[in-house]
Formats: sequence, structure tokens, C-alpha cells
Amino acid sequence: MAEEHDEIQQTTKGELSRRELLKRAGLGAAVLGVSGSAGASKAFAFAGPHRYTGRYLKNELKIMQWVHFVPDYDKWLDSTYIVQWGQKNDTQVIMDHVNNTELPARAAAEIAAQSGHDLFQFLSPPSAYQNQTIPLDDAVQEVTKKRGKMTGVAYRSTYNPRTKHYFGFPDNYVPDPVVWRHDLWNDVGESPATWDHVLKASSKLKNGGHPIGIGMSNELDSNMANFAIMLCFGSQIQNADGQIVINSKQTRDYLNFMKSLYQQGLTNEIFGWNPASNNQFLISGKGSMILNAVSATRTPEDLKLPFSDDLWIWPIPKGPGGRMGLEHVMGVYVIWKFSKQKQLAKKFLIDQQLAYRDHFVQSKFYNFPGWLNGVPGGFKTIRKLTAADQHKPKGKYSILSTIAERYTTNAGHPGFSNAAIGEIFDTFLIPQMAAEVAQGKLSAADAAKQADKQFKTILKKWKDRKLV
Amino acid sequence: MNAFAHGLKRNGPAWLIVGPFAIVLAFPFYWMVITAFKETTNLYDLTKFPFWWSGGLPQTTANVSDLFHHTDYVKWLENTAFVGVVVVAITLVLAMPAGYALARLSGRWGQGMGVGIFLTYLVPPTLLFLPLSRVVSTLHLHDSLWSLVLVYPSFTVPFATWLLMGFFKTIPQELEDAAMMDGCSRIKALTRVVFPISLPGILTVVIFSFSLVVNEFVYAITFISSSSNRMLSVGVPTELIRGDLVLWGAIMAATLIPAIPLALLYNAFLNRFIAGFTGGAFR
Repeated sequence: MAEEHDEIQQTTKGELSRRELLKRAGLGAAVLGVSGSAGASKAFAFAGPHRYTGRYLKNELKIMQWVHFVPDYDKWLDSTYIVQWGQKNDTQVIMDHVNNTELPARAAAEIAAQSGHDLFQFLSPPSAYQNQTIPLDDAVQEVTKKRGKMTGVAYRSTYNPRTKHYFGFPDNYVPDPVVWRHDLWNDVGESPATWDHVLKASSKLKNGGHPIGIGMSNELDSNMANFAIMLCFGSQIQNADGQIVINSKQTRDYLNFMKSLYQQGLTNEIFGWNPASNNQFLISGKGSMILNAVSATRTPEDLKLPFSDDLWIWPIPKGPGGRMGLEHVMGVYVIWKFSKQKQLAKKFLIDQQLAYRDHFVQSKFYNFPGWLNGVPGGFKTIRKLTAADQHKPKGKYSILSTIAERYTTNAGHPGFSNAAIGEIFDTFLIPQMAAEVAQGKLSAADAAKQADKQFKTILKKWKDRKLV
Repeated sequence: MNAFAHGLKRNGPAWLIVGPFAIVLAFPFYWMVITAFKETTNLYDLTKFPFWWSGGLPQTTANVSDLFHHTDYVKWLENTAFVGVVVVAITLVLAMPAGYALARLSGRWGQGMGVGIFLTYLVPPTLLFLPLSRVVSTLHLHDSLWSLVLVYPSFTVPFATWLLMGFFKTIPQELEDAAMMDGCSRIKALTRVVFPISLPGILTVVIFSFSLVVNEFVYAITFISSSSNRMLSVGVPTELIRGDLVLWGAIMAATLIPAIPLALLYNAFLNRFIAGFTGGAFR
């Protein structure tokens, strides 16, 4: 009561009452707001195209892509590459980035609004959006004329044999090696050469306080790891003809293996894995092995962590079905039907692929080109470039060319990454299946049967839509 | 000593309850401060004591410096403040008369409309962002802060109307009647009698609407593309989580900075907020 009375009292000594203070602050805020708007800054008002060397650029090209896992690549791309390309092509390139997890929502919003970016990059084949994008056959042919054959992983990720069109432009793919702590594995006298070795070592590593980290969660890394391990056990979602073949002995073996691995060498954290977990797990010094692209080794190198020299890169461990990994990321660009700059967007894609050596180097060997000779000289040149890396153990990155060439395939191998595979991938059904078995909620046999039924329903849906 | 013992006896149980509660609530702020001034390598070193700076002193100001020199952080703060202020103003303009009308409209219709308005608040942005994308696109507001100014009242106005309705119901009708008998029109009675008495409720609406705007994520990431137009809620996770690399120090600094003035503001008007929250609770 007394407090209210104080406020109502007139200030006679030049002091501000609380009410007066509020009034003045409000007025000040209003003035700032208005002046901010009037200032025509980019945030509050439309500003015309930027000025480059005394002229306005004629065109505008809007691109949406992810915040790259190698931050230096985005710096170079945004401040050097697109600026130079824009100057050459009289085009203001507007490059927007969002986190990889936000890309699907962003794409859905652009489709709903029928407006947005001219080029949109996905991190897995966006086969479900084929009716919203234009075929990119001519852009693919143009690059093929100059760079030769496309890689198998790129071809199967973007070509639809049903429509006989490329629904996306396979700009890059990212090999997914096993990254492991040599010092820790040495202590237990093992190496991750095969999944059998991994299982044997896992309990020793976990008991020593350094478990293995392979996610079984609704996220990209868990998807990649589980798709890949399935292949190593000879388990496939579909055969080469696109028929669902998940209900197999190989799938049951894979699921039982994941259960054993979880019980012996993983921790509960893997059920809440997110796209940053692999790296954080390794960087914390706790993790002894992950399946991840080279950003996992680049970050410890940049941070000069004491164990960064002990981080080794190998191809995925061999399983009963062989040694086959998945791309960690499949960078596919699409051009929306509503884009107003279709030709310019295609030119950007073609020019980028023809200049891929720079992209490969600037991404610190993260982005591999979609075409075999995207880096002129192909894997031979890639091997030379990677071998020259000075980080210890010296030459450790040269194995990437072997991994990319021999042990990297697409989701849906041996078939195409069609819309059904896309839905299975995007809804994380494979890591979910593994998690249910690992947690004892389902037996391997029941999980495989359930998946078979579910996947066949998904396939039928997309067949009915004439996209598979 | 006797006074101390007496005080302990009188206030001890209260401190016993409030103390742990305060520690739990204050801990995130403490963690933010510690992390914001830690070296990145130290953050990942599990052998180091996590609750203090290694060596006893803040280790680095690089996280804060990076924020101001290598990101559009200041812009995000400006954008958030701008959208927040405009949305709060729109919310007040719409919700105050609506809340008053609903409070005075007795009977089935008034109650039904009140519930109806509140139900619109319950429709999640994850459902609405797709149709609203279309609206934003049609109005050519894509990548403009005005898109957020347009969309945010869709959830602040129902919430504020509901809150104010409860508050206005506690104000006796007789006060307005007396004012009108003294010659005031209804509008004057409202602006000179009802609204000034309702200040605690209005302040609560201001702070809550502002908080809703600051925390909103789905619309902010959907309708805004460029870095310099981003709101704080999107700028921080988008540009400070760089793929696999999470810049914890910068993230903590980025969240700590706006938290300080907001905490001071809350504290300055604490009594009024409590009155605002509890105003509609009793009749």
C-alpha cells in the first residue's frame, strides 16, 4: 500500500518515480524502434541488391543449405565462392543456412507457400518431393559431358528408373569411416577390423570407461550407422529390383548383433543420440569408436585436443555379409517448380561441380564430388591430396579415397534410393527397429516381420503414386 | 545470540524449503556464467572440476568476443527486441478490450467465446506453420520481420485475452458504474478507472507476451532465412551449433546476456506480477 502511495506521489526533488521511469523508457524504446525502421537496415526494410565494384548485379539466386559440419567450408563458400561466381554471372547469390535437422520443415514450408529458394540442398535423397521439383537431366548430362561418369552412389541416389528422370542433382557425398581411438584400442589389444572384433573389444572398452558410440535414435547418424551395419551383415531393405526383402536371417543376425553390442559395449545415451552426439562423445575423451565423417577428426585437430593424433580412420568393419558402408551425407540439390531462376540455378550447379576440387579441399576432404572426375584425376588425385594432409598419423586421410571408391553406397542398396526408401529413412524406422530389439521390447524375428509388413505398405503407397 | 536463535527458529523452516529451491533455479544461470568464460578445450576435459574455472579465474572472453565480432548477435538482439515490442503493443491493443468485453459479457455466449478464444491458443505452431507460410508468401513478407509481427499475435492475443479476462472479472462493476454516474463515458471509465487498476495484469501480459515472442522457434525459422534478420531463438542454435561442433561457450554467453536485463525487470516488478497472476484467482 505504502509502495503504491510512493508512486502516486509527485516527485518534487527531481527524482523519477517508477511510473515516470516506465513512461520515459517506453518512449525511448518507441523512438529507437521507429528510427530502426526508418534506417532501412536489412532487418526492417527492403534493401536492394548489394553493390559490387560499382554496379548492381542483374539477377538474384537464392540457395538454402545446411550449416556445414566443417565450419570453415561455409566461410569460404559464403565469402569467396558465391561472391566470385556471382560476379562472373552478374548474379547476387543469397546463401541461407539452417541446421540439418531443420531442413525438412523448411522444405515443407516452402512447398506449402510455393515460394522460397531457387536451389534447396537436402542431405539425403529427397525422393518424396519429386512432384515438386523439376527434372535435372540436362544439368546432369552437361556435367557428364565434361567430367565423365557419375559415381554409383550418386546415380542410385538421384535417378528414378520409373520416371526415367534425375529428380535431384547429386552434388556430393560423404564417406563414412569408422573413427577410433588407437591408444584405447591398443590397450585392450584389439582393432575394429571386423564387427566380431568390435563386439569382443566393446565390453573391455566400456569397462575401462571408454564405450563405443553407435546411435539407435531418430537422427541422421543413427540412420547411417544402422543402414551400414545391416549391409555388413548382408541384410537389405530391398533387392536390386526394388522388392522388400527385410524379413531375412541376415536382418535377424544384424538385430541380434546390435542387441549384444548394446548390452556389452554401449550405454543408454545411444537411444537419445543426436547429430552432434558422435563428435561430442569423441571430443569428451570418453568415446573409443564412432561411425562418422571426418568432421569428427577435424574438430579435435582444430581444438588441439591431446588425443587427436590417436584418432585413426578405417573403413567400416567387415561383417558376415562383407564390408559396405553408407554415405554419411548425400548432398542433393533440387530446383523447385516455383523457382523463377531455373536456368541460372542449373548453371550454378554445373559450375560448382566443375570446380569441385576447391570444394573438396575447402571442406577438408568432407565433400566428395558426385562425379568420378569431379576432382579432375578422380580418386588418384583425391588420394594424393588426402595423403598430403599433415595431421598425425600422417597420411591417415588417404584411406578416404578407398572408402569412397569401394565401401560407400546409397540408402536402399542394391536398389535405388526411391521414395519408399526415402520414407523409411526419413522416419528413422531402421534405428527404431534396432532400438526396440536392443531394449528387449521385441525379438529380432518379430521386429523383422513387423518391418517387412510396414515397409511393404510404404512401398505400395509410393507405387500407387507412380514414383516407384 | 538469542535474537539469532529466535530468527532461526522463526524463519528456519522457510529457508529450508526456499534454499534448495533457489539453488536449483539459480544453477542454470551459474552454469551459463561459468561456461561462457571457459576455454573450449577445458569444457571437454572431463578430468577438470566442472563447476569452477580451472585455475580459479575466468579463463577467456573469447566466447563473448566471437559472439559480437563473428556473428550477427547484436542484430538478433535488435530484431528480437523490435518484434517483441511491436507484438506486445498489438497484443495489448487487441487483448485489453477483448478481455474486458468477455469479462462483462455474462452468460453462455460470453463464456463460450472465452473458451473459444483460448482454444485457438492451443493449436500448436507445428500445425499452423504450413498454412501460415502461404499467408506470409501471399503478402510478400518472406524473410521480413513483419511476417513475425503478423503471425505472433495469433498466439499472444488469445493468451493475453484469457489472462486479462480473469483479471477484469475481479474488478467490481460498481467502480465503473460510479465513474459513469460522475459523468464518464464507458470508454473514459475504462481508461481512467479500470485499466489503471488492472496495471498488474497488464504488466503480466506484457512480460508473458514478450517471453513467448523471445522463445518462439518454429515460425522464426520458417519465415526468416537470412542471418541478419534472425531472431535470437533461431540465430543461437543455427549459427552457434555448427554441424557437429557445438560452441558451448558462445551459446551460454548468448543466452546469458539477454537473461540479465529480463531477470532485473522481473525482479523490479515482482510484486505486481504476483498480483497479476493471482488477480484472477479470487472473486
